[in-house]
Amino acid sequence: MNVVTRGIRNALRSPVRSGAIIIMLAISIGLIVAMLVARASVNTKIDEVKSSTATTVTISPAGIRGGMGGGDPLTAEQISTITNTANIKSTVSTLTDQLGTDDTNLTPSLELGSFGQRQQRFEGGGNSSGTMPQPPADEGQSGASTSAQRTMPTPRTSITGTTDPNSAATNGSVLTITSGAMIDGKGDTTTALVGKSLAEKNSLSPGSTFTAYGKTFTVSGIYDAGNVFENNGLIMPLATLQNLTEQAGAVTSVIATVDSSDNVASTVSTLKTRLGDKADVTSQQEQAASSVSSLQSISTLATTGVIGATVAAAAIVLLTTTMIVRERRREIGVIKAIGGTNTKVIGQFITEAITLTVLGGIIGLTFGVLASGSITQSLVSNQATNNANSQQRGMGGPSGVIRGGARAVQENVRSVSATVKPETFFGAIGITILIAIIGSAVPAWLIARVRPAEVLRTE
Amino acid sequence: MSLTVTNLTKTFTTHGGEVHALHDVSFSVKTGEFASIIGKSGSGKSTLLSMLGALDIPTSGQIEVDDVDIAKLSAHNQTAYRSKKIGFVFQHYNLIPNLSALENVMLALEFGGAPSKDRKDRAAELLAEVGLEPDQQKRKPSRLSGGQQQRVSIARALANHPAVILADEPTGNLDSETGKKIFDLLHNLSRSENTTIIAVTHDLDIAGKTDRTFKLQDGKIVKA
Ligand SMILES: Nc1ncnc2c1ncn2[C@@H]1O[C@H](COP(=O)(O)OP(=O)(O)O)[C@@H](O)[C@H]1O
Ligand SMILES: [Mg+2]
Repeated sequence: MNVVTRGIRNALRSPVRSGAIIIMLAISIGLIVAMLVARASVNTKIDEVKSSTATTVTISPAGIRGGMGGGDPLTAEQISTITNTANIKSTVSTLTDQLGTDDTNLTPSLELGSFGQRQQRFEGGGNSSGTMPQPPADEGQSGASTSAQRTMPTPRTSITGTTDPNSAATNGSVLTITSGAMIDGKGDTTTALVGKSLAEKNSLSPGSTFTAYGKTFTVSGIYDAGNVFENNGLIMPLATLQNLTEQAGAVTSVIATVDSSDNVASTVSTLKTRLGDKADVTSQQEQAASSVSSLQSISTLATTGVIGATVAAAAIVLLTTTMIVRERRREIGVIKAIGGTNTKVIGQFITEAITLTVLGGIIGLTFGVLASGSITQSLVSNQATNNANSQQRGMGGPSGVIRGGARAVQENVRSVSATVKPETFFGAIGITILIAIIGSAVPAWLIARVRPAEVLRTE
Repeated sequence: MSLTVTNLTKTFTTHGGEVHALHDVSFSVKTGEFASIIGKSGSGKSTLLSMLGALDIPTSGQIEVDDVDIAKLSAHNQTAYRSKKIGFVFQHYNLIPNLSALENVMLALEFGGAPSKDRKDRAAELLAEVGLEPDQQKRKPSRLSGGQQQRVSIARALANHPAVILADEPTGNLDSETGKKIFDLLHNLSRSENTTIIAVTHDLDIAGKTDRTFKLQDGKIVKA
């Protein structure tokens, strides 16, 4: 028998009380583990979201959003201003246009529906790209008939000329090519990627040809951007579209990648000053920030939980050992009187506290790890739902690309999975040991102050 | 001379002022002698024992045990002194409740520095010497009678061959018959082991049979 075995035996001296203490400790430690896991998982997610969205800046001409609105596209000069701005690593330039039925032999895959008709009724009387091919004019009906006839609105095919076709991906990464090959966005060939729906409608496959702007295009590949609107489109090299639409150098959107997420804010403000009121500059970082902030609040909540549970557990051990020391004051005096050193008595009590903590810790760690998955999940889904609701209402400003990005972030945010990493586990064990030490320090001090002469006093 | 006390004074400072528990006490006890201390409650008997046992430090004066002044020992050396040179026997036995009789004696052996492999045999031998049967040796104190508990505590006091055994009213909690047996046990041991024993007692019969008797009154020795 030695100090350690005596300590362990003392821990089990009154089974009911020890059991109660162990259960209380197990609950606290279980909570600590679950909160640590939630925190680590959420933090991993935050880093992931930040690093995937943090470095892009979108520049669009003032007044133009995704091919709508009015104003002038960005000029070649402005593009070189952007490219030459410090910290900008790379840029993707995009020009969008819409093909009416007289510009192409393709049939749009989208039905106009009531929304589409309303959109186009303003242009109905016009005679530009939106009009139907005129039926051959009959004798006698010539002249007035053309202007009198109100053309029926028709759906259009959206066309994107871009230096990087992957920028059309709605998931923020790589565009899915379902068949055929990618095109080189930096070239000026008459090849194109065709959206899945548009390809089906027109029975196109890689190698097929179609006409647009009076030129014959070859289908290089079919893409699936993940939504019906995008899949009714064509993607071709930027230069090709610029040449065909006689807008050399013009661009309707630039996505610039900044070298580090720390430089995004300063780059945005530099670009704003340089481009003046000709362009709108927005960053995904600002968009991601609101999604990340909900995760950050979960992380903060979890940290608070960890601290709270640690304090509670330390208090339990502290009160317990203090109570035990008071109860065994005489016994401590006797041990000292018969030659036990302070170190031995304190060692015995610390062993006792550690035994209780370890037993509580084993139970707590087990249950904490088992429960951490569902706790993390419920924390995250509650928060993400709240956040999604508030985000949806405020939407409308940012461009399509950012909207897609923000949606992707939002989806991403919900998919936090709780993983128990070794460092989290060891962190929990560390905290448990800390609890035992804090919880034993005060009793140890009390023990050192017990005077052995007290045992001779008999009142 | 095994134990010499010179001009020993102990003053406690309390809220109500100073209490002179011991005042200029001097006496000496020879090796192997059985001395008793008598006196009214509050006369300073326990205080004197706590000074002799290095449980507390005197205000002034010397206590020499085998030519070492224990009043001047450091706290660490006081503990070592208690574990090796002193054996305590208390009125309330003061055994550790969750240890068996055997383990209680082994605990003292541990503190006295006995090698761990020898402790069990030595403890059993000591308990047999004070008259405890092997099956009683395995019992916790709560399952032993007062007399048996006091025997265990005497075995514990003897464990490390102390120079002095200090007993504070060792028979105070026992009926007179058991008390007499315990007293006889102490008496025989002081003879066979040649151990000095200083016992506080209220029982004048017992005091009369010891080698010497000191009477304390208001912290002073009035009869030696
Ligand atoms: N730790 C202490 N603090 C204050 N006064 C004490 C203390 N110990 C003993 N005394 C006082 O010293 C006197 C002697 O006490 P004690 O030695 O216990 O007497 P006895 O054992 O003879 O009954 C008493 O008046 C007691 O109240
Ligand atoms: Mg007394």
